[in-house]
Amino acid sequence: MQLTGSHVLQAPVSRIWTLLMDTDMLARVVPGITRLEQVSENQYNAIADIKIGPVSGSFSGSLSLGDIRENEGYTLHVKQNSKIGNADAVVKISLKAIDDAQTELSFDGDARLSGLLARTGNRVISGVANTLTKQFFNNVEEELKNSHL
Amino acid sequence: MSNKFIGQSIKRVEDKRFITGKGRYTDDIKLPGMLHAHFVRSPYAHARVVSIDTAEALAIPGVVAVYTGDDVAAINGVPCGWQVNFRNGETMREPKHPMLIATGDTAKHAGDPVAVVIAETKEIAIDAAEAVLVEWDELPAIASPADALKDGAPLVHSQFPDNKAFDWSFGNPVEEVDAAIEASAHVTTLEFVNQRVVPNAMEPRAYIGHYDAVADKYTLYTSTQNPHLIRLLMCAFVLGIPEHRVRVVGPDVGGGFGSKIYHYTEEALVTWASKQLELPVKWTSDRSEAFLLDAHGRDHVTKAEMGFDADGNIMGLRIKTIANMGAYLSTFAPAVPTYLHGTLLQGLYTTPKINIDMTCVFTHTVAVDAYRGAGRPEATYLLERIIELAAHEMGKDPAQLRFQNFIPPFDGVTQPGYQTQVALQYDSGNYAPVLQKGLDLLGYDDFRQAQKQAANSNKLLGVGFSTYVEACGIAPSAVVGALGARAGLYESAQVRVQPTGKVSVFTGSHSHGQGHETTFVQVVADKLGIAMEDVELVHGDSDTVAFGMGTYGSRSLAVGGSAIMKSIDKVLEKGAKIAAHKLECAEGDLEYGEGKWTVKGTDKSIGFGDVALTAYVPHVYPAGLEPGLDFSSFYDPANFTYPFGCHIAVVEVDKETGKVDLKRMIAVDDVGNIINPMIVEGQIHGGLAQGIGQALFEGTIYDENAQLTNGSYMDYVMPRADDLPMFETANQITPCPHNPLGVKGAGEAGAIGSTPAVVNAVLDALWSGGHNDVKDILMPLTSERVWRAMNN
Repeated sequence: MQLTGSHVLQAPVSRIWTLLMDTDMLARVVPGITRLEQVSENQYNAIADIKIGPVSGSFSGSLSLGDIRENEGYTLHVKQNSKIGNADAVVKISLKAIDDAQTELSFDGDARLSGLLARTGNRVISGVANTLTKQFFNNVEEELKNSHL
Repeated sequence: MSNKFIGQSIKRVEDKRFITGKGRYTDDIKLPGMLHAHFVRSPYAHARVVSIDTAEALAIPGVVAVYTGDDVAAINGVPCGWQVNFRNGETMREPKHPMLIATGDTAKHAGDPVAVVIAETKEIAIDAAEAVLVEWDELPAIASPADALKDGAPLVHSQFPDNKAFDWSFGNPVEEVDAAIEASAHVTTLEFVNQRVVPNAMEPRAYIGHYDAVADKYTLYTSTQNPHLIRLLMCAFVLGIPEHRVRVVGPDVGGGFGSKIYHYTEEALVTWASKQLELPVKWTSDRSEAFLLDAHGRDHVTKAEMGFDADGNIMGLRIKTIANMGAYLSTFAPAVPTYLHGTLLQGLYTTPKINIDMTCVFTHTVAVDAYRGAGRPEATYLLERIIELAAHEMGKDPAQLRFQNFIPPFDGVTQPGYQTQVALQYDSGNYAPVLQKGLDLLGYDDFRQAQKQAANSNKLLGVGFSTYVEACGIAPSAVVGALGARAGLYESAQVRVQPTGKVSVFTGSHSHGQGHETTFVQVVADKLGIAMEDVELVHGDSDTVAFGMGTYGSRSLAVGGSAIMKSIDKVLEKGAKIAAHKLECAEGDLEYGEGKWTVKGTDKSIGFGDVALTAYVPHVYPAGLEPGLDFSSFYDPANFTYPFGCHIAVVEVDKETGKVDLKRMIAVDDVGNIINPMIVEGQIHGGLAQGIGQALFEGTIYDENAQLTNGSYMDYVMPRADDLPMFETANQITPCPHNPLGVKGAGEAGAIGSTPAVVNAVLDALWSGGHNDVKDILMPLTSERVWRAMNN
């Protein structure tokens, strides 16, 4: 399953970068994440509850950051297991300054699904992914309004 | 009262209980103390079981046992029922298909079971299955049969380094076929895929294993097409328990389409588990498991070349096909692409040289087995697609090209059967009239006029033809034995006349929707001249029916019905002895009819009921004759039967969207003599819907990790009533010359002829719109694929 999206945020690139590197902030903006525990530098255990339409499940697994380029982006690797199947996603997150006050946040990746998640098909899952994408950008915008970072 | 039942459209007697909710299916059976099983299955198509931890599951209240692959590692896997060796003589590769995957071994398709939880309720079993912790090591997987043969492809079984189960060639020597094609004035080449489809029986599979410790006897209730075959396979090959200690019951079964021939691992497992726990154990598949685990059908990748002389006569046919076996060999899998497919590639044509080259491969997908038609739809699809394309390429009329190449008529009685280039000898055939009848129903000339006019509108019109011959009445044991079958394919029947003249008929032909309780009773009541209400059909229970090979390959009436006819003959022969004694005449002076023996030329007679009573109360009785009126027979057919027919589809294709609208579906079928025209028509209707489903809607979609991505009714498209036109059906009757009823079989014909007719119709529509270079569109013909074909 392809995961792509981009959105222009009303903040300079350095502020977005700071937010994206903050563990608490990540836990708040990534849809469904209920807990993010750091196990080592850039390595986390993640617990997620996803409940949208017909797909609902409790996921647990790992989240890691790689290829970290300050103010440019990083690669997010998420491995999640659940009763309804497993997901393994590698997503490249990129930041691009449009001007001093605006930044384009985009991501591009691929998720491998197994079990019931795979079987119920891209029909459901891509809809869910689109919703999650919207939630993610909405959450980031909310954080920008409220965060002191 | 008329006792002529053969040929009458009598309403199905079993339907009263089915449509009033009184059918009894396996899942309806509730036994005291019954436990429920749920399987822990591999989420991956290929993964090693690193470890299994069952402690948490076992601690859940209501959980009785959790078994893993390690518990059953010493037990045999489920067997394959047919052996086809490599052409170089190497033995067919037959990997073990274990009931559960053991630690250290690999799951070989998504859904391969690794453990089973047995609990007091199904809900507890499901919850506990989620608490079984399995550590998986995911490995690369492959679903495409063509890709499985490429260098470096992931291996399904590491001991078989090329993923081949076997390869096979058949027909004339390939050099002769090469020469025939080389010498041809025109050669049509068609490369295509016959996609994998899911059988979708309405009733999901369900099993109850019940070990009775007091009697030391097992009972297996199973949603199967062949209870005796399951008993044989499970007892002799998997569990090693004596057959006389096992009763297998196939109660009402809601469809199978071939997918319930296979002896599945779950059947053996619930039987084994019941012995361990000394309680009944039930497992019922959910629909998601059915998509994932019921044996799939078709899945061929083919290149076919057909050569013609300058006049359009077929000179030769050369075929290379790769067939997907799935991860394991199912009960009939090796026979389907070989002896049920390669042997049908003569079709209805006089093709003098035919060679087929088949490679059967393992992939990380569920096993493939028979699916309505089993091999014959694939053969028909190949032949009917290529001849239609050839007509287009040569600028000939597709109907005329067929007429020109048809085998001339032969009745199999005064003329010999037709010897094909691919081993079979057709019993009787008269092909041109079914096509002519189809053309008449269509109004062919008017259609071509309408098509020309439509070419200028937004909707293109197309007509597609398909003529088929198939092999049914499976099968003469000596023939199939020589071809690798590990069983005989005869049938048994017992006709027990009760003292009151009521009749119980025991047949090994199991009914899973075919209407045997009506058709078979029509035959018996008609032949004995008694009321249908006085005849009962018993089937599906190995404790009451002596033996049976089951229902598939349109064999029930042709083989099972013939066994019944043998027993009826024995009843009438003995009855005549008793009647002659009572009437004080010679047997030769008697004639039987209207339910009584009459002394010829007189009004002296004795009724069937009186003779039956005398047989059981033999006070005045022929000297030396045994009491009773009860006969068993086995019937082994002399040949397959060969139904044939012509299916014609008319479609409209939207130029702007590519949407296909099926406007007409004409089916002219010759299935030999017909016992119940309404049931035959119903069988044709169901088959047409499935064949049209494959052409336009159905097909599995696997992703690059061999995950089935459309395993639900929201994702896998089934044909619906509003997708189908009113079917126009007609019959021709060419009796089978070698069985007593002259019947050929009608269960699969609809699914065999219809698929290529629909695809040909869409191509014809595109050709009429000037898209002359389109040779093939991948099934199912979705709007997108048709649109892309029109827009390159």
